[in-house]
This record gives sequence, C-alpha cells and structure tokens, in this order.
Amino acid sequence: MAVQNYFLPQSVDEAVELLAAHGDSLLVMAGGTLTMPLINDGISAPEKVMGLRQAGLNYTGMANGSVILGATATLSQVIEHGHIPMLRQAASSAASWTIRNMGTVGGNLFAPPPAGDLAVALLALDAELNLHSARGSRSVPLADFYKGFMSTVMAKDELLLEIEVPAPLGRTAYVKYGRKHSHTPSVVTVAAHLVLDDGLVTKARIALGAVGPHPLRAQAAESYLQGKTLSESHIASAASIASEECEPFTDAIASEWYRRRMVKVYVARMLQQIAAEEASS
Amino acid sequence: MTPTIISFELNGRETHVMVMPLTPLQRVLREQLGFMATKTGCRQGGCGSCTVHVDGEPMASCLMPIEDVAGRKVTTLEGITPATGLHPLQEAFFQNFATQCGYCTPGMIMTAKALLDRNPHPDRQAIIEALSGNICRCTGYEPIIQAVEIAADRMDGQGG
Repeated sequence: MAVQNYFLPQSVDEAVELLAAHGDSLLVMAGGTLTMPLINDGISAPEKVMGLRQAGLNYTGMANGSVILGATATLSQVIEHGHIPMLRQAASSAASWTIRNMGTVGGNLFAPPPAGDLAVALLALDAELNLHSARGSRSVPLADFYKGFMSTVMAKDELLLEIEVPAPLGRTAYVKYGRKHSHTPSVVTVAAHLVLDDGLVTKARIALGAVGPHPLRAQAAESYLQGKTLSESHIASAASIASEECEPFTDAIASEWYRRRMVKVYVARMLQQIAAEEASS
Repeated sequence: MTPTIISFELNGRETHVMVMPLTPLQRVLREQLGFMATKTGCRQGGCGSCTVHVDGEPMASCLMPIEDVAGRKVTTLEGITPATGLHPLQEAFFQNFATQCGYCTPGMIMTAKALLDRNPHPDRQAIIEALSGNICRCTGYEPIIQAVEIAADRMDGQGG
C-alpha cells in the first residue's frame, strides 16, 4: 500500500504532537537517505510518514564551548560549521556529496551498520543527545543510547532534537577504512580521543563502527590504557583488546574475520598517530 | 490518501503538480512533467543518475519527497542547457568522449556544474571527490574527469 499521509510539521511542537497522536504508526524521516530507498523498493510500506525537513531543527551553533547540532543539520552543514576537526572528518567520510547534502546528523545515528560513521566520532567525543516529547525533555549520553541492532532507549513518542558535542579535551584521530577512497561503506571506522598528562593516559575513548550491532565503545581497551604510556607494546595490547571485544559481522563489504583484524590494525594506527603528535608537541 | 497540489520553481518557471503523498521528485520530473534528462537509476541514492539542484545544492531527486521542494528552486539538466547549442560542460563531455551509453551523463554534469559554481578551478582530486557519488559503468571515469577539467578551463569562472 502506498503512503497515505505525509506530514511536514513546521515546528518541534507540531512534530511531537503528531508523534503523540500517531505513536508507533508514524515513520519519522529526516533527510530521507535511509528511509526513501526502502520505500522506493517496497521493502518498507509505511502508511504515515513524518518528514522533519521543515521542523526548524537544521541549525548548528556553539554554546559553552560545545558544538550544538540540530537533529536535521545535514552532514554538509557539519563539514562547514562543525568546528571540531574530527566531527568534520567523520561527516566528510560519509556517502557522497549529494547524499551529504540531504542526510542529517540525527538520521545518521539511526543508520544500521556498516553505515553511521558520524556516531563513531560522536561517541569518542562524549556527545549528549537531547530527546524531547510532549511529556518533556531529557538528556542521554550517546554512550547509553543504543540497546541493540536498530534499537535505542528512545520512547515511541520521543524525538531527537539536538546533539551537544563537547570540545575535545585531548588529541583525536579518526579513520574510516573502506574499499574505496570515498562514497564507500565502512569495513571498520575508528575514532580515538585521548587525554594525556605527562605522557600518561588520563582519559581514553576508543569508538568503533561497522563492527557491532551499533556504533560502540571499546571499553576494555579504554580501561587498559588508563594510566599507561602510549608505548608500542601498550598500543599493541590495546588494539588486541579492542579487536577481541568488538562484535564484527560478515556482509558484502567484508567478513567478520577480516573486520576483526582490521580493528586491530586501525586502532593501533590511530593510537600511534596520537602518540606521534604528542611526542612532537 | 488525497492528492495535493505542490508548487515549486522548475528551471526558472513556476510549476504546479498534483501528487500523491511522498512521491519522489525524480518521478514527478519524468512521469508527470516529461523532463527526461533526470534518470531513474538505483532509486537508492547510490548512483547519482538522478542528481538535480535544489536551491543550488546537488541532491538525489529519487530520495526527495516532492512535498519537501514546495517553494524551492529545482534545476535539471534541461535548465542549464541553452536554447541553442550546449553548455560548456555538455560540449566538453561530447567532444572528449565522456559519454558512452550516456545514462550517467545528466547526473555527472549536474554534479560537475555544482562543483564549478563553488570552485571554478578545481584540481583533479576535487573533481574525483565531487563526482564519487556518480557511477559510470562505461567510461572508466578518465574522460569524464578530463571533460570537467576542460570545461573549467574554458569557462574560467564565468559560470554558464
């Protein structure tokens, strides 16, 4: 059956009212780059769709040193106004120019792996999400957002309004390793964010994409690095731990076997990159 | 399900269409308005053959609900083709054998046009990066990249 109703709310209030009224039966769409392909192919046949392009959420800004991204700011807007280099790098690595002009930051958080590169950078940067409903607002760390494959802590009547990204406290490194240089799905995406004090790691964030049911943090590798130097052997051990704790899958892009090995390679390279920057500073 | 009337600017002309909910812009262009340059490729946003400009930005028209372009400016390849002759990009593609089957060509040219609008003298890497979302299965890309370079030289920032 074809789509019966397409709602284009002109404000957040209108959007959450529609969500409250229609609940689960309303498919929420932002840039359409994930949803429209499924509808075009008949894989998804929603009766009611709500588009967010005109709901007033396509803004970017700064507040208290954090980058603020409205949920429907496009990936191209992030590249232009993202302020944090790793954020811009992650947005640049996604899809193609035309798709970055349409796809949104908020929508990217709901992209099934191996898609969803932005969330990897956002996890490493300790991003916070602002969820809103007719009942009120709440803030959820991105690290607590995902429950499983295409499953999050969001309630049925909640809408993702805004993402707050604190400026990184330390050094960052990001890589999306794919089969082509651009416009490519990820074999593995790694984002690292390390705070070092006198050569010792005081805070470690290592986030991984395309190697689990959702973008995830390699928390065992992060804990291992805590209080250690970035020596070659510590880097190698952290990379091994990350490759063991992730949950890669096999698809048309790469096998589970290969992805796991590439986690080890690219986590090590990101940590080496940070170590080299630290050594030369 | 009720059809609605959507108004937008298509290639400089005020246009009104009666559409069913969530019809992609790409289908409206081809099936309702007869603008056939914009192709039906993958309908997934992955091939670039349906690329048009919305308010000057290159976008995949297969993923754009027609309702979302209400009041906005849409430009297709027909819109940049002069009344007589060819746009410099079209001419460079034609002369440089950058088309074989031609299916990707309108999308390639619309993306290249958007690139030259922003960066009149792109280097080779910038051209490759900009066109990475446009798939060609015939040419091996090299003649296309060269055609954009030739057109950029000829246009020399003069738009077109």
